[in-house]
Amino acid sequence: MIPNCKGGVNMELKDEDIIKNNIVPYLSLSIKEIILKMKTQYFKGLEEIRLRSGQPLLIKVGDKDYALDEQGNIEEKLKRGYVVSAEDIYRSVASISDNSLYAFEEEISRGFITIPGGHRVGLAGQVVMKGHELKTIKDFSGLAFRIAREVQGCSSEILSHIYPRDLEPVSTLFISAPRCGKTTILRDVARNLSMGTARGRGCNMVVIDERSELAGVYRGRAQMNLGPRTDVLDACPKAQGMIMAIRSLSPHALITDEIGRREDIEAIQECTNAGVAVITSIHARNIEEAEKRPLLRELLATGAFEILVVLSRRRGPGTVEEIVRWDSLCCG
Amino acid sequence: MLWLKTLGAAFIVSGFGAYGLMGARSISNRVEQIRDIRLAMGFLEKEISYLHTPLPLALERAAQCTPEPARTLFFECGRTLQDRQGLTTPEAWAQSLEKLRTVADLKDEDLELLRTLSSQMGMSGVDEQKKLFGLVQEQLKIQEEKARREVESGRKIRAYGGFIFGATVVLLLL
Repeated sequence: MIPNCKGGVNMELKDEDIIKNNIVPYLSLSIKEIILKMKTQYFKGLEEIRLRSGQPLLIKVGDKDYALDEQGNIEEKLKRGYVVSAEDIYRSVASISDNSLYAFEEEISRGFITIPGGHRVGLAGQVVMKGHELKTIKDFSGLAFRIAREVQGCSSEILSHIYPRDLEPVSTLFISAPRCGKTTILRDVARNLSMGTARGRGCNMVVIDERSELAGVYRGRAQMNLGPRTDVLDACPKAQGMIMAIRSLSPHALITDEIGRREDIEAIQECTNAGVAVITSIHARNIEEAEKRPLLRELLATGAFEILVVLSRRRGPGTVEEIVRWDSLCCG
Repeated sequence: MLWLKTLGAAFIVSGFGAYGLMGARSISNRVEQIRDIRLAMGFLEKEISYLHTPLPLALERAAQCTPEPARTLFFECGRTLQDRQGLTTPEAWAQSLEKLRTVADLKDEDLELLRTLSSQMGMSGVDEQKKLFGLVQEQLKIQEEKARREVESGRKIRAYGGFIFGATVVLLLL
């Protein structure tokens, strides 16, 4: 078991700073005032701020939802919360997009906008289709501010498995249910491998960030520290990105998040056969559950991954439940 | 005593005359100002549709290539939005229009036309923005034509009218 990265008073202050500096400026004036009145202790572990038109203002701390009233007090009874108005949503959208929705058409069609600091704002509203493609979202009715955190050093103990002494990084699959910290750990792995560790030199890394979560790119610049030897292919489909990266960026290892489509699986095989390690993740609670998915079973059987790491939230996000040497298990 | 009456009459005639000339100049200026705003709108449309420049920056760039007083509108609005004080585009645009009203020779109907643009400005996709700016430019062109016709008929009336009215006042006083 690898212990979680723990936070104390400093972490609370850091979280408060992140939210006050990076999130609050994008909220409507009334919601801004409510968040600023919130007690310091609630900023720690705050994962989401939810605005839904005509519904109470909600925050997610850990696994629980709380409402916030007009004085910034936490309320377990949601109906006591401040009711978000359509104007709050409009003002927040205007602020997030810099009053320029046209400049974010691509992001809106993917359902979110990344703001400085790498935080993502999920969008809900009326979806406009063009043929079979989602063209845009209009008449916004809900916003989900997801707070991105860098937890530097959270992968340090897994790292000895992924990057054995004096060897190349090995292909690793993180198996994790949603919200178990896999993106945060993948980001830290990218940074550590890129910077180099006591066990080995820094590696050329390519992060294929299809959903702009790992690097949090805002106007072409990664908002997260991914190290000095990391290239980012932002908003790039994973399969195409992997092939493009091995052809043009000569990486030692590739990092990408949430694989699952056939073309992803084929691209991973292509990479591992080309001698490039792939460090990635899938949604599943354990190895057995992952093996129930035909494509993943097929991929795991090929021995493309040498290590499987199972994550959970049992002791908070990033709890490492299991680290398995898969190459010896599956291929004898 | 005669010289005092003559001096007074001269003051009255020249005062009304100058007022008339200013009015005549204002009519001519309106045409220029509407044209400057229309050209700036064209610039803004290109910044938005081809370069996807964020609105505050696009307004600032449009201001840079627009002469005063039309520049005020774009510069003030761009600066207000860049200050990030929580104002939306319609609010910032309305503030800038009020400043423009004090320095330009535009009529209420011109300002009202510009005000209608603000509710949509920036807050839709590229195609919609292109249509919006296209429409506004068309409407400004119509306003410009109207203003030009007013120049032809109104400039002489105002320019000479001021002197004539001044002279009439002098005659009545005598």
